[in-house]
Amino acid sequence: MNSSLLVIEFLVALLGLGVLLADLWIAPSARRTLAYVATTGLLLVFTIHAGALAPADGTAFGGMFLVDGLANFFKSIFLVAAMVVLMVSTRFADRLNGYGEFVALILFATVGMLLTASANDFILMFVSLELITVTFYILVSFQRNRLSSVEAGVKYLIFGALAAAFMVFGITLIFGSANSTNFFEIAAKQGELAKSPVFLIGLLLTFVGLGFKISAFPFQMWTPDVYQGAPAPVTAFLATGSKAAGFVLILRLAYGVVPELSAKWSHLLLGFAVITALYGSFCGLAQRSVKRLMGYSSISNAGFLLLGIAAANDTGSSAVAFFLAAYVFTTLLVFAGVTVVTADGETDDFSAFGGLGQRSPFLAAGLTIGLVSLAGVPPLAGFFAKFWLFKAAALRVADDRWFLVAILAACVAVVISFYYYFGIIRAMYWPRHTAESTPVEPSIPVRLAMVTCIAAVILMGVFPGGLVSVARQAVAGLGPATAPAAHAAPPVAAH
Amino acid sequence: MPAFTDLLFYAFAGLALLFGFLCVANPFSRSPVTSAMFLVLTIIALAGLFILLHAFFLAAVQILVYAGAVMVLFLFVIMLLDLKEEDRRKMRGFTIGAGALAVVAIAGILIRAVIAAQPLAQGILVEGETKPLGKLLFTQYLLPFEVMSLLLLVAMVGVILLSKKEIK
Repeated sequence: MNSSLLVIEFLVALLGLGVLLADLWIAPSARRTLAYVATTGLLLVFTIHAGALAPADGTAFGGMFLVDGLANFFKSIFLVAAMVVLMVSTRFADRLNGYGEFVALILFATVGMLLTASANDFILMFVSLELITVTFYILVSFQRNRLSSVEAGVKYLIFGALAAAFMVFGITLIFGSANSTNFFEIAAKQGELAKSPVFLIGLLLTFVGLGFKISAFPFQMWTPDVYQGAPAPVTAFLATGSKAAGFVLILRLAYGVVPELSAKWSHLLLGFAVITALYGSFCGLAQRSVKRLMGYSSISNAGFLLLGIAAANDTGSSAVAFFLAAYVFTTLLVFAGVTVVTADGETDDFSAFGGLGQRSPFLAAGLTIGLVSLAGVPPLAGFFAKFWLFKAAALRVADDRWFLVAILAACVAVVISFYYYFGIIRAMYWPRHTAESTPVEPSIPVRLAMVTCIAAVILMGVFPGGLVSVARQAVAGLGPATAPAAHAAPPVAAH
Repeated sequence: MPAFTDLLFYAFAGLALLFGFLCVANPFSRSPVTSAMFLVLTIIALAGLFILLHAFFLAAVQILVYAGAVMVLFLFVIMLLDLKEEDRRKMRGFTIGAGALAVVAIAGILIRAVIAAQPLAQGILVEGETKPLGKLLFTQYLLPFEVMSLLLLVAMVGVILLSKKEIK
């Protein structure tokens, strides 16, 4: 048994248990130290992961656990997201009763995400997704003295349980028709399985469960309410880590396990992609709450990402990986700003952001960069990410006219989203009413996290070449002919 | 002439469906306690199906854990919250139409798939006693098993956090 491959997951889980124990001996006023310790620990794990000590590519636990380029790429994303969320959450610590447990739960959710990136079996996939979801039920309702937080938790619980039920039903049907839950074994006989209606329904129901995680239409209903009700750092992690965990599985399934089927279903995926993108954009127009708006933005972005899945070519898979990396940094940047602004007040309305340009120029500048990148304005990461996704879809236009329609519809969604992203920027610099003028000052860890994100967003936009080649290498192992042979490929250093 | 086990299968499956229906839409009683008791009967019928599949351990666990422990917990919660009879909700035409459409569509797809499915040639692969089950759990499925333990820890921490009176 090759269990040394799990060193990253093991270390993060150990860190979480350590934090849970250390919480017992630490005075409530000094709990913030736990977040610093956890972030430092994650940074160490990240250096192991990205450095020479990283586990080599291969499988463990009878082919259930897989380390490959895609897994390593997404593990970097998850570790970075967890670090930024922990740093930012220190600003929120006073409002989170039981902050030590909060830090531990963030770490356990990270373990779940790391496992989904490496899952090579439907059973492990389900269990690790549930680890993420169950942790988020608690995290979302963490401010239990606030009614909206508890309400969001209950909504997430009900939708999450329903989605999990669909998924586990789908997995039993897959097992019943394929007589295996292993991704490699299913990929090996996908041609034969594609003729079995039971297998098709099983796969469809599995995608229902994943569609809930990435908040794709028609499983998006929970998103705005939960994003608005949850504490801001939790929303940040939900929008980045949890979403990326859903997409790494969709990427692996669509490109690695059943590529023939997903090519056949590309019109279905395309339809849902377009509806999701347009739905998110149109509904975002009327919002006055920034967190709710980010919920609709998240739906809209899920639509763009599905466009890359529907494209079913090499550019599509690498574009999805690149888009997610850019999206994670951008969204974390925006939510870092939102966390600081909402940490003292009750509301996350546009008015809370009024005149932020004067109250804290740094915060306003950071938020502006994040929002402009989300909108997709040229020199920033968001522009190149969208450009590449659209290019992946454009490559298919020659053989399928519907892709042209989809690209045009997605462009409409992008243009609409300009309006609401710039609405926040207008509120920050040119407020309608003279809003409050109390200055807000982000603490040093928040500043550090924001500067990191700003640097990443600008660098990815100006010099996308480096990340592009990393993303290409990451998805190179996917594809129809891969099964176990892919492990001979040299390990990809993910940064 | 169908075999005896086939007859048993149809009996248990029919009972499971009947009790399941009575659990969610009982025309005679709207009390949550009655619903919970019908859920117990559904679970017992399902345990019968597990026995027909030679999954003896699962059948026993089904009765012990679900019909026994979990349902007692359900009843405790219902009685603690002192739930009264549910009000009859007014159904609008659109709601009924959309619900019926969804049910018919899903049922249609499932029935078509089941009819088209080919039963596995080799028959029952594993006898569902404790020994083979435990062996599988600690060899092939060790990793998900361990992840489950982390999940349970998270659930425990969460329950304490959310239900504790005062958090320092």
